[in-house]
Amino acid sequence: MTVSLTLDHITAHYGSTQVLEDLSLAIKAGELVSLLGSSGCGKTTTLRLVAGFLEPTSGTIQLGERDLTRLAAHKRDIGLVFQNYALFPHLSVRDNVAFGLKQRGLGGTERTAKANAMLERVGLSSFADRMPAALSGGQKQRVALARALVIEPPLLMFDEPLSNLDAKLRVDMRVEIRRLQRANGTTSLYVTHDQEEAFSISDRVAIMNAGRIMQLDRPEVLYQRPANSFVARFVGFENLIGMTVTARDGETVTAVTQAGATLKLSQSVFGAIPDRFVLAARPDGLAVSREGEGIPVTLGIRTYLGRAYQYQCTTPAGDYLGNGPLTELLDPGTAAVLTPVPEQCCILPSDA
Amino acid sequence: MIKRLSPWILAGPASLLVLVFLILPVGSTLIATFTDAKGWAAPYAAFFNSGFRRTVLYRTIEISLITTIISVVLGFIAAYVVAQMPARLKSIMIIAAVFPLLTGVVVRSFAWLILLGKNGILNTALLSVGFISEPISMLYTEGAVIAAMVYLFVPLMILTLAGVLEGIPKDVVEAATSLGATPFAVFRQVILPLAMPGLIVGAVLVFTGSFTSYATPQLLGGERQMMMGTLLYQRAMVTFDWTGASTVAAIMVVVTILIVVLMTRLARRLNPMAG
Amino acid sequence: MRNTLHPALTITASIIFIILIAPLFIILGAAVSDTNYLTFPPQGFTMRWFSNIFEISAFRTTAITSLQIAFFGTFLALLIGIPAAYALNRFRIRLPSWLSNVFVLPILVPEIVLGFSLMKSVTIGLNLPVFTTLLLGHALLVLPYAVRVVGASLASFDFSIEEAAISLGCPPLKAFLTVVLPNISAGVIAAFILAFITSINDVSISLFLTGPGISTLPIQILAHMEQFFDPTIASVSVLLMLLTVGVMAIVEATLGLTFLTK
Repeated sequence: MTVSLTLDHITAHYGSTQVLEDLSLAIKAGELVSLLGSSGCGKTTTLRLVAGFLEPTSGTIQLGERDLTRLAAHKRDIGLVFQNYALFPHLSVRDNVAFGLKQRGLGGTERTAKANAMLERVGLSSFADRMPAALSGGQKQRVALARALVIEPPLLMFDEPLSNLDAKLRVDMRVEIRRLQRANGTTSLYVTHDQEEAFSISDRVAIMNAGRIMQLDRPEVLYQRPANSFVARFVGFENLIGMTVTARDGETVTAVTQAGATLKLSQSVFGAIPDRFVLAARPDGLAVSREGEGIPVTLGIRTYLGRAYQYQCTTPAGDYLGNGPLTELLDPGTAAVLTPVPEQCCILPSDA
Repeated sequence: MIKRLSPWILAGPASLLVLVFLILPVGSTLIATFTDAKGWAAPYAAFFNSGFRRTVLYRTIEISLITTIISVVLGFIAAYVVAQMPARLKSIMIIAAVFPLLTGVVVRSFAWLILLGKNGILNTALLSVGFISEPISMLYTEGAVIAAMVYLFVPLMILTLAGVLEGIPKDVVEAATSLGATPFAVFRQVILPLAMPGLIVGAVLVFTGSFTSYATPQLLGGERQMMMGTLLYQRAMVTFDWTGASTVAAIMVVVTILIVVLMTRLARRLNPMAG
Repeated sequence: MRNTLHPALTITASIIFIILIAPLFIILGAAVSDTNYLTFPPQGFTMRWFSNIFEISAFRTTAITSLQIAFFGTFLALLIGIPAAYALNRFRIRLPSWLSNVFVLPILVPEIVLGFSLMKSVTIGLNLPVFTTLLLGHALLVLPYAVRVVGASLASFDFSIEEAAISLGCPPLKAFLTVVLPNISAGVIAAFILAFITSINDVSISLFLTGPGISTLPIQILAHMEQFFDPTIASVSVLLMLLTVGVMAIVEATLGLTFLTK
């Protein structure tokens, strides 16, 4: 039985400070959605609202047919995995896993059997009688995962579950989480500040800022076609060049930067281009060459990236990062041009 | 050579003070109880053959136990609430617990003398509502001693337990809640077991403190509610029966050390952090 | 830890805290009552019981003795306790593990037993002056504060700082005084305050160690109460509570009151 989670027009406050502003989010049955953002963006608040540790000022939270909005936290039936694992230090690994079953009134033998089976699935059978203090970080997180899964919750939630693990273990664990989540088809909400983690594990990712969802989409779309400057910058479009259209000739649009440099862009590549827009490009989306058509720049510091050279480029309208080929070594102070690589760039609506 | 001895030189004076002015004098008090002319166990036989002294011992155990139980319960409730309070209220509550703790035993016991006396507030209040027709004597009863002792030890219990309860991570409580534990189940299955070692330590402090107290039973119990502390003083300074006094002292030491050792061992075994 | 609070719990806790503080206000009321016996609520208002304290010379002399004993006893305990705490932390491997337990003994052994034994063996046995025995007894009583509270500070002290000072040419004693001591000052202040207040309030040790002309204030209060039941004691208690207020103000100013919950 898989169900959907719907947050409808949620507003939340801490005291008088607003932390969530009219947030709506729908997670389809069986889907894993991540909330991604820096600290203070409201992602953890959203999770705590769904868990029932906070109450929204307004709006509703719906899990399948059930209205969770004012339901007591212990009646919500949600599997929660914490950043610090939150294992019960006074209970053995097996009793930790069986805790939720005990609350559901399961008998001792059935509890043990289910807990053992779950521990088997996360590969911790031989640790069942240990105390949490005697486990490594990765093992603790597996126990936390087993404890959340064993109650067979309709919704799983993860609060930065991997941030206390080292890099290697993080990759292993996220594959593990994805595997177990897929196997059960459990609807999941995953909170993280790590972009790679969110993109690798999720069906869809919501990028959050200042209590609002900036964009909710598949990782591929977010990565290649951000909808606004915030998301673009977040996913690595380091160059945001404000431009104004001066002429339109069929599919070809002529636009100028604030410094007066002219670019010709094709609507057959970028789609419809508004009169004022932002050209967003990662460093490898701006090709540096000695001469040609493009934005004239003065080169600054050069760094070697292995596959290319990266240059700091100065223009009267601002500084950009562009990549140049390994075949042509350009020195600081040299005049050069930046040419957008259409497939590596995208057009965003102007912020103003 | 100096380098090798320096730890001993530094720790020496303090160790010497404990050795000469604690270990030797207290040791000689204990030994004195076994070197009686009438046989090595004679002082203990005398103690336990005296109905009066036996009663004092039982009364002391009883009062200390009741005091401990009440202090633990009240201290736990207060500490539990303190731990959940916002910072501002919390510090006011801490001050309210620390202030009596830093005020001396004599002053605090004396307060109950005023409270429970013939002209005390309790009598005045009971008289004015017509509950009683003339002042009743509440002093020099077991209840008076217990009330004052609980008053003495609750602040200690609150401070000990508030620290323990604050140390329980918030997310462990939330984890239990998310797994379906009711508030009572959270208390029973998570908070209480995690607080147990601290609770035992606090209870030991209260019990041994009550068991060896002097000023409170002296002021509020008087001759009628004599306890081990007051009995020791009476034997030593009124009847000058030093062997008898030493026997009381020895029983106090044995009970105290036994309780401390057994209960710390229990607390350590219950410590969840141990592997 | 956060959990939802049942109103009954909050109400019970509020009552507990009121009962903790109320008796101390009752003393204040009783101290200004214009009656010859202790009563609350006060009848009339007078300050004569406060002036009465100063007319009874025993209160004055015992108060001075108490302050002397508390000050010098605490000083002595710190003087020998800090080096011991330092040795226990710095040379943990070179000292036997039981040594730290030795400094727990003054807490473990009932105070009244210690007082009685000191009287028997030291005042009478060694024929030491009463004041000296009293001072040693109090130093012993508060020694655990010096060793354990300062020790807790030292446990979190990074001794490589001291080694750095020595490697830069600072002699060991000077390194201790100029590098170690300033970094454990919070522990030393806390130990001093706790020790001082414990010594001032002590009854059970002093009980046996008072002699002709020498007594401490708490013992004098007890003695006075056996004969008189007038508000003088209440006014003395008020003064002692003012001392507590002063101590708490010092704690708040130097360490912050939250220090006491640790």
